[in-house]
Parts: sequence; structure tokens; C-alpha cells
Amino acid sequence: MEWVETTGKTIAEAKERALDQLGVHEEDAEFELLDEPKQGLFGRVRGEARVRARVRPTQARQKVDRRDRRREKGDRAEKAESTPKTDKVERTERASRPAATTSQRATGERQRAPRPPRSDSPAPKKNTNPSADGQSKEQLVDARQVGEEAQRFMNALVSAFGLAGTSELVEDGDDLEVRVHGAELGLLVGPRGTTLQAVQDLARVASQRRLGDHDTRLRVDVGGYRERRRGALGKFAVQMADEVKESGVARVLEPMSSADRKIIHDTLSTTEGIATRSEGDDPFRRVVIAPAND
Amino acid sequence: MTDTESTPESTPESNEASAPTAVAVLTHIVRSIVDDPEAVVVDSSINRGKVRLEVRVGPGDLGRVIGRRGRTAQSIRTVVRAAATRDDVEVDVDFAD
Repeated sequence: MEWVETTGKTIAEAKERALDQLGVHEEDAEFELLDEPKQGLFGRVRGEARVRARVRPTQARQKVDRRDRRREKGDRAEKAESTPKTDKVERTERASRPAATTSQRATGERQRAPRPPRSDSPAPKKNTNPSADGQSKEQLVDARQVGEEAQRFMNALVSAFGLAGTSELVEDGDDLEVRVHGAELGLLVGPRGTTLQAVQDLARVASQRRLGDHDTRLRVDVGGYRERRRGALGKFAVQMADEVKESGVARVLEPMSSADRKIIHDTLSTTEGIATRSEGDDPFRRVVIAPAND
Repeated sequence: MTDTESTPESTPESNEASAPTAVAVLTHIVRSIVDDPEAVVVDSSINRGKVRLEVRVGPGDLGRVIGRRGRTAQSIRTVVRAAATRDDVEVDVDFAD
């Protein structure tokens, strides 16, 4: 609420304007760089520098609180998207989830809110109160069964498109990935992977949700797109992190899909000196790379 | 882009919406996510040069097809529109029960 956003021909000019609006000295303000005054990677086409700024909160401790509050807000927003009534129950359950599972899930998710791995599968399988999530399907579902269902869905989808492809199911515990291989599958990927993201959503609905599964993490890749994208995004993330370290100014990236955001978070999870978080609501949720002591 | 007003709906092929790929893809997706695949019906019609696909599903299945905040419906539209490029048409997808 107290953030102001300004633009300018240069970063300095944009900062100057922000300080004018806030009416404080530079050392009393904190900045986040939204756009540099040049064309950049991944669709940054703004010609102007864009920053946002606010009066720096007085105590470091407050900042921690604030960040937590922001996380909670995000958490709540995601709950609202699922089933608000079960909010309390889910919270308790999550707290009581076996430590092993929690730490396993937390790996590589440094700085991110301790939320369920996917917003649309909030209830763990070891649900002690079956009616809590409002669904009656509580039978244990085997990961392989989910994977095979997803694979069937993808095979039939490819033929409905009139395309030729073969699929494989890669299983790693509860991590499932259906990979479709073929020569001309670009249509299933779409501009910036938007179609692939939709295809993956639908594969999840068709397998996980229909079978009442809450434990697996399913991904779909077509024509090796995610693999290549991971490589390119990873490079981009490292480059941005270097800039943040050098300048000490946080950077807000373009809105990205959850899959892309995860790549950024994962790539930078072991990088010293910076911290990543996501903010905003889909489809405009974006990653912020900030100096670690911010 | 032909002028739609000069090609009235009574011409032989204009009433026969031809988006076979889009229809096949839409039918497959919806049948894969509902509880009652048998009840799924897809109708197509032409509306101002666009193909309009209307999906009807069995009682109780509409929520599943639409999803939270319409997310599933949006994903279905995205994928079906991609499929429709193989038919060289633009499509709109509507859901009903």
C-alpha cells in the first residue's frame, strides 16, 4: 500500500521521482527495480526504467514480520481458491504432518512459504478426518496408477490433435513426469509454453483429481520443451541474481507460471547473498530476487 | 477473412461447423475429467465466422469442468483453440449442464 511506482529514462531518474513522491532521503527508502531502461530477455520490452519504492521500515525485525505477513496473505489467497471452510483443518494437519515429509518437501524451497506443495491438492493422504476436504474419495491411490492415467490422457490427446508422438512415464516416488516425444508437437506447447501449461493442468485434473489422489506431483513435458526452458531460465536467474548482488537492489521479474517460478527458486536456492520469493496473484504472480539481508 | 454478411447461413457448408480437430480434442478432454463420460455432448455451430462449440455434461459434472475460479475451463479453451488452428478456424467454447 505504501509502495510507489515510478518510471524514468534512467534508473536514477526513476528513483529521484519516487523519492519526490515519498518525500524522504534516499537512505530512508528502499527500492525494487521493476524494469531496466532497455530491452531485455523474456519479454521485457519497456523502454523506460521502472522502480518501486517505499519508506524503509525503521526496524529490521519489522521486515521479517512483514515478509511473514505477506506469505500468510499469499497462503490465504491460495486457500480461498481451494476450500475456505477447511482452512483450519488443513492448517492443523499440515502442522502435524510427519517431519520427514515436511523437510523433504521443504528441500529447495528456501524462503518460500510453508504451504502445501500444490495449491490444488491441499489435503494429505494420511487424512485423519476424511470429511475434512469435502470429498469422499479417500482410498489410497498408487502413484503408478495416476501416472498411467495421465499417460493415457496424453496419448489420446496427441491423437485427437491428429499428431504423432510417443509418450513415456518417468516415475520417481511421488514425482511423476509424462514426456511426449515427437517431431511436430509445437502446437501442444504454444507461445511461451502457455498451451503446455494448460495441457498439464488438464492432465492433472484427468488423473490426480479424478482418482482422488493428493500425493503425487505430476508434470507433463512435450518435445523436451521444459528441459530446454529450464536451461534458459536457469541461466537467466543466475544472471539476475548476480545483478542483484552487485547492485544491492531487489529485482522483480516478469509474471511467470508456477513451473517457471519454481525453476527460478530452485536454481537460486543455494546462491549466497540473495533470497527469492513470489508475490502477487496468478496470472501475474512474479518472482522477486532480493539481497539476502533485505 | 470473408465478409460474413454476404455469406448467409443458408449456404450448404456454413451451417455445418467444420472444426473436427477442435471437436475431437474437446470431447476427449471433457470425457477424461467428468464422472459421467457418456453424458458429454459437444455441439458446434457457426457464429459470425467463428465456430462455437457448446459442451453439455451430466448433472453435477459442470463444476469439475469449470474448476476453481474457472481455471479448468480456461485451460480447456486454451488447448481447444490450439487444436482449432489445425482446422483453420477460430473457436469459442461454452459449457452447460
